[in-house]
Amino acid sequence: MKRQTALIAAILAAAIGGAALAQQSVATLRGGTPLADNADPMVIPKVVNTDLRQVRNYPEQPPLIPHKIDGYQIDLNANKCLTCHSREAIEISQAPMVSITHFMSRDNQFLASVTPRRYFCNQCHVAQTEARPLVENGFVDIDSVLEYVKNQQGGSD
Amino acid sequence: MLGFLRRTWGAVRRPSVHYSLGFLTMGGFVMGVVFWGGFNTALELTNTETFCTGCHEMRDNVFVELQPTIHYSNRSGVRATCPDCHVPHEWTNKIARKMQASKEVWGKIFGTINTREKFLEKRLELAQHEWARLEANDSLECRNCHSAESMDITRQSTRAAEAHERFLFTGEKTCISCHKGIAHQLPDLGQASLMAAPEAVAELSGYLDQ
Amino acid sequence: MTEVTRRDVIKAQAVAAAAAAAGIPIPAAAQNLITEAELTDLKWSKAPCRFCGTGCSIMVATKAGRVVATHGDAEAEVNRGLNCVKGYFLSKIMYGQDRLTQPLLRKRDGQYHKDGDFEPVSWDEAFDTMAEKWKKALAEKGPGAIGMFGSGQWTVWEGYAAAKLMKAGFRSNNIDPNARHCMASAVGGFMRTFGIDEPMGCYDDFENADAFVLWGSNMAEMHPILWTRLADRRFSHSHVKVAVLSTFIHRSFDLADIPAVFTPHTDLVILNYIANYIIQNGAVNEDFVSKHVNFRKGATDIGYGLRDDHPLQQAAANPNSGASEEMTFEEFAEFVSEYTLEKAAEMSGVPADTLENIAKLYADPETKVMSLWTMGVNQHTRGVWVNNMIYNVHLLTGKISQPGNSPFSLTGQPSACGTAREVGTFSHRLPADMVVKNPEHRAIAEKIWQLPEGTVPDWNGAHAVVQNRKLKDGEINCYWVQVNNNMQAAPNMMEEGLPGYRNPDNFIVVSDAYPTVTAEAADLILPAAMWVEKEGAYGNAERRTQFWYQLVNAPGESKSDMWQVVEFSKRFTTDEVWPAEILDANPEYKGKTLFEVLFANGKVDQYELTEKAKEYGNHESEDFGFYIQKGLFEEYAEFGRGKAHDLASFDTYHEIRGLRWPVVDGKETQWRFKEGYDPYVTPGSDFEFYGKPDGKAVIFALPFEPAAESPDEEYPFWLTTGRVLEHWHSGSMTQRVPELHKAVPDALVYMHPDDAQAMGVRRGSAVKVESRRGHIVSRVETRGRNKPPKGLIFVPWFDARQLINKVTLDATDPLSKQTDFKKCAVKIVPVGV
Repeated sequence: MKRQTALIAAILAAAIGGAALAQQSVATLRGGTPLADNADPMVIPKVVNTDLRQVRNYPEQPPLIPHKIDGYQIDLNANKCLTCHSREAIEISQAPMVSITHFMSRDNQFLASVTPRRYFCNQCHVAQTEARPLVENGFVDIDSVLEYVKNQQGGSD
Repeated sequence: MLGFLRRTWGAVRRPSVHYSLGFLTMGGFVMGVVFWGGFNTALELTNTETFCTGCHEMRDNVFVELQPTIHYSNRSGVRATCPDCHVPHEWTNKIARKMQASKEVWGKIFGTINTREKFLEKRLELAQHEWARLEANDSLECRNCHSAESMDITRQSTRAAEAHERFLFTGEKTCISCHKGIAHQLPDLGQASLMAAPEAVAELSGYLDQ
Repeated sequence: MTEVTRRDVIKAQAVAAAAAAAGIPIPAAAQNLITEAELTDLKWSKAPCRFCGTGCSIMVATKAGRVVATHGDAEAEVNRGLNCVKGYFLSKIMYGQDRLTQPLLRKRDGQYHKDGDFEPVSWDEAFDTMAEKWKKALAEKGPGAIGMFGSGQWTVWEGYAAAKLMKAGFRSNNIDPNARHCMASAVGGFMRTFGIDEPMGCYDDFENADAFVLWGSNMAEMHPILWTRLADRRFSHSHVKVAVLSTFIHRSFDLADIPAVFTPHTDLVILNYIANYIIQNGAVNEDFVSKHVNFRKGATDIGYGLRDDHPLQQAAANPNSGASEEMTFEEFAEFVSEYTLEKAAEMSGVPADTLENIAKLYADPETKVMSLWTMGVNQHTRGVWVNNMIYNVHLLTGKISQPGNSPFSLTGQPSACGTAREVGTFSHRLPADMVVKNPEHRAIAEKIWQLPEGTVPDWNGAHAVVQNRKLKDGEINCYWVQVNNNMQAAPNMMEEGLPGYRNPDNFIVVSDAYPTVTAEAADLILPAAMWVEKEGAYGNAERRTQFWYQLVNAPGESKSDMWQVVEFSKRFTTDEVWPAEILDANPEYKGKTLFEVLFANGKVDQYELTEKAKEYGNHESEDFGFYIQKGLFEEYAEFGRGKAHDLASFDTYHEIRGLRWPVVDGKETQWRFKEGYDPYVTPGSDFEFYGKPDGKAVIFALPFEPAAESPDEEYPFWLTTGRVLEHWHSGSMTQRVPELHKAVPDALVYMHPDDAQAMGVRRGSAVKVESRRGHIVSRVETRGRNKPPKGLIFVPWFDARQLINKVTLDATDPLSKQTDFKKCAVKIVPVGV
């Protein structure tokens, strides 16, 4: 409880403008725990398993995995992901097909099947846990930027 | 030779002169219980995880792989042991499977899979046997625990619920059709997952041969 | 159209958020497709990735002063359009809400106070306070009392400006990069075996090798894009074999044809066994060996780089000795003959047939072998030796400097090669592999820098681990840390690092973009511009130099590290920092600022502002009034041109996806030391290892020696530390990207399930991981991606809340001074949380 309060306080402090306040503890990610101390470790969080696709920050971002992948085998023998996401499998599975970029070789030629350079899915695609971000991220997507640009054009000049 | 058989047959067929009928009946019954019990106890002994993992072939390969999976370690602690999935529960089938298993004893004695390399070499064949068996008996050993009637799909993830509704409840597929490699690692499928399914290849060669 | 700034966008965001919260519909949301070209056009520019040493090229989209998207650069040789998950989220690394935007100084009652609270101050006040401390230390104790700790994440010109300010300006060699924790053993190995730093091969080896041997490396997580090239080769060509050697099972084992888990530290035994196997089976390439190789026997029993009064150090016969003596091939064969298959199998715990299969890959003349290694070999108390020994087996078989035959030392930081190593930011080095101890090298540097003779000091400065010891002992009193998080990285934090930073005699300055653990331990925090907020250059592991432009403005008052270094130099005159004898002999330098003698020296400031690209900003050049990046780069490039370190012209690098040095007549070099590929090789010599005076590389006879600290009854487990795919190094960037944080939120103690069961803990149990030096509290993971054998645990170090460096040992390789983060002894105590 104490740890949570400290964390909330730290996030608030950062949100208000962090630097503006005089403070001993600035290492946001530590949530106020002094450097020499050890906070209680977080409980291992659950993996999100809702199957609900999330918006991408930009179209080039690899989609996040909206389900558990515990024990999924991706090795010399087999690739568990492709049993649902391969071109042939999606009629049965109704899962999204691997992107067509995944059929391209290093020389940008389309191959007969998924390119081995993309074989290890979890190099780019990751599942998400229910862990809360330690610090907010202020990235805004292109739509918000365009919205702003348009308003600027319509408004001041 | 023929004389020996005739004499034996005569001895069995002739009534006893020394023991009463009651004694013989009771004695037969007791001995029957002892033999039958002993047989079954021995059979049950071979039907435990401890027995299976007594051999390093099982302990170091498949059992290690089972441990991190949901069938060994999960939220409620209810778990499957080797025979739960690999030995039929119903008696006649069990005996049939056990007779088959004598071949495995042979394999053990001659070290068919006594190294990791040999095991990996053989793994596809071994897995295919189990897949074929479960396909043939409509995933009987799965269904001993996972009854379709008791399955509440509203408590499953969306994709699992949909798949079960479409394929399991309609009988179009059986458990093992989709759930290969959930308790042990998959064998080398020859980059199978990157390539087309075997049936499709068969269809194509049929078409091209015409 | 009005110029839209980042601030405006944030304001607009706030308005939008407020409107949404109040339930006010935003009209434009109804429009679902924007088609107007002026709006949909994004400005795409190239930049190398901010993370590891692979050096992937990234395309970065900007709009209205914001980065709005990133993806892998399809035109780049290195990654051909691919990124790893971290790379794909680069767009978000600059936008953590706790970015530092102004200098923060510890104050009490309006004055600097060591135990004060951080308060915002102006750059002037920050630099004034700093300069006062620096001048005091220089006056009272001399140049040895100041120090600087930089990074393989410095851009080329940041590292160059910092090294020049320290070594020539303040006349102190107490400057070291965090690459000391990362690549020093690799450097030591290269210099000892070849006399010249960095790999002879390049990434094209991935498409040419028949076998890959990973020595301790987990490329699947640490170098994912190189792993895609390796996986492509393995899956596309069925004859290709992959051997993975490590002290625990990890994701790279998923591709292993030959997996091998060995007892920590026995890589020394396995490599000697392979050398022995090659010799015993007649697989020595005798022609190559007789023409291009010398044999030497290295000094043994060299200690563990601990403090001099440590018992282990005092027990060593030849502490810190890199000496060696000549020997013959026959003597070498005799030396390795004791490393038999049986002995190697017994000591390493790897089955004999597995060891033999690995040895065969090297021995078979038809198999082109690429060996790959990173921290498993380098963070090793015999790291230089292991580097030497990997070269041994490649040199014995002549499998080197040709496509696919390649001992390849991977790097962990984006410019460990380009900046830390090539620029010479180590405490003993100068640019282009030169060293401060060599009077000729110092003279060359002084000539290029147009400085008086004797300016560059002749003593080796304090390296990373010694810097922390000297801070604790009060010998270094002014200390500047840039672009790294050493309080989270350096070993033995509780006994050395933290007491050193908080020593009341010391003034610690940390430049960073985010308030890291190290920043919290500092007295003054300077806000830094990061990645594409400044013009930069990085050099990757295959000698490829890559440039990028400043694409967006840094938030608030943040400035690049180069700006900070150059601006700080304005506050010192030569009279304050140089001795009278130098000034008396060279009166023309009297009364000048360090800025004038180091940066406005007629060379660095010779390029006009008009030469910089008009479409991109450049906050440093705009402030200083000249194109400073170009000036620094061209002066720096003088060191290497004509000396086998040739770089192309500044402008070239802005146009292309990098070039691999030496760049001679506009052509890059893929394979060094081999005639036909490397223009520096004398015609007719076939191979020439020209880093050595006689053109021959060296095979070293080196034995097995035990680790500095091994498990015992009281501390029964090996602790090994490392990274995870989703986070880079100390996580100061990746932990601020929500998607990456949610993928891997916490460090865990990866252990064998039987070990967990034996001590009555289970997955998720809280445990104390304790060594003789300190402890952390974490949770057990028994079925994660890493599967240690019994008796070993793995703990990643990205997590700022669980500082595993409180536990690690500050033993180093005595030759390279690089810490062994992979081996120390710990106990595990269940705690009820």
